[in-house]
Amino acid sequence: MAYVLMRYTNLVFVTFFILSLLSFILVYLFPGQAVENLTGLRLNELTELQQSELIYAVDDNIFIQYWHYMGELFAGNWGVSFSSGLPLYEDVGDYLPASIELSAYALFLSFFIGLPLGFLAALRHHKLTDYNLLSVSLLGYSIPVFWLALIMILVFSLQLGWFPLSGRISLLFEIPSITGFILIDILLSESIDKQAAFISAFRHLILPTLSIAVVTTTLILRITRRSVIETLNSEFILAAYARGLTHRQVLMRHGIRNALIPILPLLAMQFPTLLTNAMIVESIFSWPGIGNWLIQAIYQQDYPAIRAGMLAVSVLVVIFTMSIDLTIRLTDPRRRRAERAAI
Amino acid sequence: MNTLKIHNQNTRAKTTLIVLACTLLCACDALLQTKTDPNGIVYCSEGSPASFNPQLDTSGTTVDASSHQIYDRLLDFDPVTGDIVPALATSWLVSDDGKTYTFQLRQDVAFHETEAFTPTRFFNADDVLFSIDRWRLVDHPFHDISGGRYPYTDSLKLGDLITRVERINGYRVEITLNKPESSFLANLATDFSVILSAEYADKLTSWNQKELIDFKPIGTGPYQLASFRQDRFIRYTKHPNYWRQIELADKLIFDITPSSSLRLAKLLTDECDAIALPAHSELEVIRQQEDLVLDEKPGLNVGFWAFNTSKPPFNNPQVRRALGMAIDKNALIEAIYFNSAIPARNIVPPTSWAFQADVKPLSYNPIAAIKLLREEGIPKDFSMTVWAMPVQRAYNPNATKMAELIQAYLQDVGIQVNIISYEWATFRERLTEGLHDSVLIGWSADNGDPDNFYRPLLSCAAIKSGTNRAMWCSDEYDLLINKALQYTDISERTYFYGKANELLAEQLPLIPIAHASRYQAHRKELVGLVINPFGGVRFGGVKKR
Amino acid sequence: MPQSSLYQEEHHPSPLQYTWREFKNNHIAVTGLFCFVFFIIITIFCPLLAPFDPNMQQIGDLLIPPSWYPNGGISHLFGTDALGRDLLSRIIYGCRMTFGISLWLVVVAMLLGVGLGALAGMSRGFRSSFLNHTLDSIQAIPTLLIAIIIIAILGPGLVNSMWAIVLALIPQFVHQTRDFIRHELSKEYIMAAKLDGASKTHIFVHSILPNMGEMLVVQATLALSVSILDISALGFLKLGAQAPSSELGAMLLEGIEVAYIAPWTIALPGGALFMMIISINLVGDGLRSALRNRLLH
Repeated sequence: MAYVLMRYTNLVFVTFFILSLLSFILVYLFPGQAVENLTGLRLNELTELQQSELIYAVDDNIFIQYWHYMGELFAGNWGVSFSSGLPLYEDVGDYLPASIELSAYALFLSFFIGLPLGFLAALRHHKLTDYNLLSVSLLGYSIPVFWLALIMILVFSLQLGWFPLSGRISLLFEIPSITGFILIDILLSESIDKQAAFISAFRHLILPTLSIAVVTTTLILRITRRSVIETLNSEFILAAYARGLTHRQVLMRHGIRNALIPILPLLAMQFPTLLTNAMIVESIFSWPGIGNWLIQAIYQQDYPAIRAGMLAVSVLVVIFTMSIDLTIRLTDPRRRRAERAAI
Repeated sequence: MNTLKIHNQNTRAKTTLIVLACTLLCACDALLQTKTDPNGIVYCSEGSPASFNPQLDTSGTTVDASSHQIYDRLLDFDPVTGDIVPALATSWLVSDDGKTYTFQLRQDVAFHETEAFTPTRFFNADDVLFSIDRWRLVDHPFHDISGGRYPYTDSLKLGDLITRVERINGYRVEITLNKPESSFLANLATDFSVILSAEYADKLTSWNQKELIDFKPIGTGPYQLASFRQDRFIRYTKHPNYWRQIELADKLIFDITPSSSLRLAKLLTDECDAIALPAHSELEVIRQQEDLVLDEKPGLNVGFWAFNTSKPPFNNPQVRRALGMAIDKNALIEAIYFNSAIPARNIVPPTSWAFQADVKPLSYNPIAAIKLLREEGIPKDFSMTVWAMPVQRAYNPNATKMAELIQAYLQDVGIQVNIISYEWATFRERLTEGLHDSVLIGWSADNGDPDNFYRPLLSCAAIKSGTNRAMWCSDEYDLLINKALQYTDISERTYFYGKANELLAEQLPLIPIAHASRYQAHRKELVGLVINPFGGVRFGGVKKR
Repeated sequence: MPQSSLYQEEHHPSPLQYTWREFKNNHIAVTGLFCFVFFIIITIFCPLLAPFDPNMQQIGDLLIPPSWYPNGGISHLFGTDALGRDLLSRIIYGCRMTFGISLWLVVVAMLLGVGLGALAGMSRGFRSSFLNHTLDSIQAIPTLLIAIIIIAILGPGLVNSMWAIVLALIPQFVHQTRDFIRHELSKEYIMAAKLDGASKTHIFVHSILPNMGEMLVVQATLALSVSILDISALGFLKLGAQAPSSELGAMLLEGIEVAYIAPWTIALPGGALFMMIISINLVGDGLRSALRNRLLH
């Protein structure tokens, strides 16, 4: 176990190195002056630029530049945005938790609905329920997520007036941002009517979460169903029946665990997909998340912001991927030594 | 036995499902019914202000965010009659030669109090002196803070007009002009003539943070700035010691939403109580909704297509005439304004007394246009740019669409058009540099005086201050409009403006397209919100039932 | 005349025929296939089918509702959009653009991916393991995210978005090819070929490649649906096809402006997109279960 951990920390460092190297190279790949891209300051703000030239040692060797760049990165000095002039570190720190929150809730929702339905479909394999669920799930993952969001707004917000269609919470509430997760921040805040704020935030969360959860729910449904079908066809299940266990006992004792464990990594891997869908949907719901911010930065060709945003998102995705991988390797006895660790 | 067990299991599963469904329904019901938002007004605005001081900017967005919310002026326009009424000045006298104005100031007017600044005195003459001298005197310590450009006052050359501003006593100020100008009082009542706090300016100077005067503003207005998040929201709280006894909400929020259809959607779902600039295609929808109110007022504005007369071949009036004949104004108006605008003949709308009905408008005649273009030496497939402004304004709700339509018309006469647009602030910067061939933009009047159209749009001084998009400078024109200001008699002024109209119809530095009606939409529960035809939106006195 | 034969023959269908028979029995999959073919026909015969020019703006006919609304007409079956362009023609051209471009992208990605995968799979040593590690890590990242990152570097535009999606699709193909080759290399018929003296290229081209066909087709259908979703998503985010191009995602973006008074401007293009993806998924699903079950009957 210690060996695996050590291996992983090694991999983590290597990946971070590669990602930071890539984002550093981007400074030169983007059009415009390298120093402008690094710091976010325009050439006409001379004095500050001279200072940054010293910090980044632009005239020096490229390796020294990289070293300085890494130093600044860890110090939290990520430069400022071209368009707003605000420090990037704070911007990313504000917007990233919003996207993570949306994706996390959508993931929970998908598990909550997808897993039981997947089981149901597998247990009623080749019967009507199965076919219905399969058809519905096909519709679910064929639908383009941005279209689904628009239709949901048209129906639930405008026609029926049940849910709001923009923002995280009614602007009349002012919630100081402590963790960045709004539901938690509401509970932690002091002076306001917590129940009203909570309900407002919840109502704002529903439509975006549902629109991204639909696709993932159907995927989870399918994956679970396939895994359960395969498990139920395997021999140790037959043996369990032969021993005289009832359906219920077979399912509870052997079925669920053995069906779920091999697919847990697959299920958790839905998170990056959710994050990407969240990024698309954010612009429709004016959700102040990293996707919206990054896409605005791409339109406005705000290179420092693009660089920072991409670094943040890719680091997040890679960390997540690797932690899931690590957890599985540590807990799944079948995999302990069979495969090489993947970077 | 087994079937019985399964039957029991099935019913148990079903009952649990039903119980779950019921709880879910109850929760949903509670969720949907509860509306316990705190007391406040949410206004969906169309963009972020460049600063919080309307002296620095003519953009409607900045004015809406600051002028009537954070500040007051010496005088105001009555939104219904258009008369000039007292605000921070209770009364005024004009000398016989028309050059000296004496203002008596209001007492017991309190400034905002924030965490950083606590005022120690009420509003007095020092604040008036500071607010005017800031833009008037080039060597004033605050003149160059935040750029040093005051587009409105610079384009009218008010700095040169005013020779002296003198404090007679704590509540009396005397302003002397170098020549009589009949529109001066109107200029003091516009959105741009706000009164700042001299005491705050001194404090900021001592802290060495002078630029905060425009970004963390202190004024006497009904609401004070609490926080601002670029492109997201502006939060205001009410000014507890506001001098006017009117209704104020505890909080005022500007929810910045650049897309007009999204603003409408938010109005429909009650996420906004009032919206800025509804698009013309949405007006019908608003009229049909029972819980929304659409206010309509004829607008003091003009949307036009201006040519950059400093660049050949647009310096040739015949070329400009030809281009004007190539487009069908009526079709443009139908497509863009959805019939809530009237075709323009002069640059002033029919509601202004300087309007001249007998000016013959250009007719749509592509054949004559082609002929004229060839005569003037414009080859086939000549390429030009049409710059389309990216924001919606009453005078042009969709410049991009209009540019596309013009592109189609000009293609019929053999001219290729490239449509160019940038983010609004960048756009205006580049226009001032004169990088355009032609531009689709417009002008909304700040006061009822026709000088407010003629001077900022086409006078020579306005090129430098950036409001003369046609980059047109004609001494004859400047002479005419200056003459019109020297007389206070309306018939004499009308004569000079008439001559100016004729000159413009002949030279065509810009093609006036339409005068739009102004609209504002809000929910029924919001009372007290009226359209201000002379300026930005006012939230003082507005309350939610 | 049915084929008469005097001798009793054993008729062994080829694997392809087994697959087709199994596929045919799945009625839903066959429906999907019909839709798929329908879209291919639209893509090829588009100029003949569209009643109007998709970019022609008819200023007098703005926002006409589709024919099934009370005030819609027949001349514009699907109504018109905010600039007066006929929606049916735009959708037909849009289908051609989205579908056609996606097909093209999948083919290119497949060629490049299989090539790289073959290199990775057939070789050993540092080169292959480095490639393996990089690919495995990229696997987890959704294709749209990769595409957005590439667009961030190249800048928005249709051509750039096409490059971005091709680059994002390649890892899937490489991974699958490499896995497949690895798997096959341990089989006995390859061993036999090696003992016969075949070179690596020969083994690949003559032994492995024919067997890869089925896997590639399944992968291609998956990649096609991903590619369509991504192209339209990029068009929707204004990072790919720009207005006034008639790409379906870009049309949806334009439609938002008037969505609340003219819902058909987003319902219909989105519906077309939906149908496209459903048909591909149906075909893909049907193919996969046919391949899985063909020998069971």
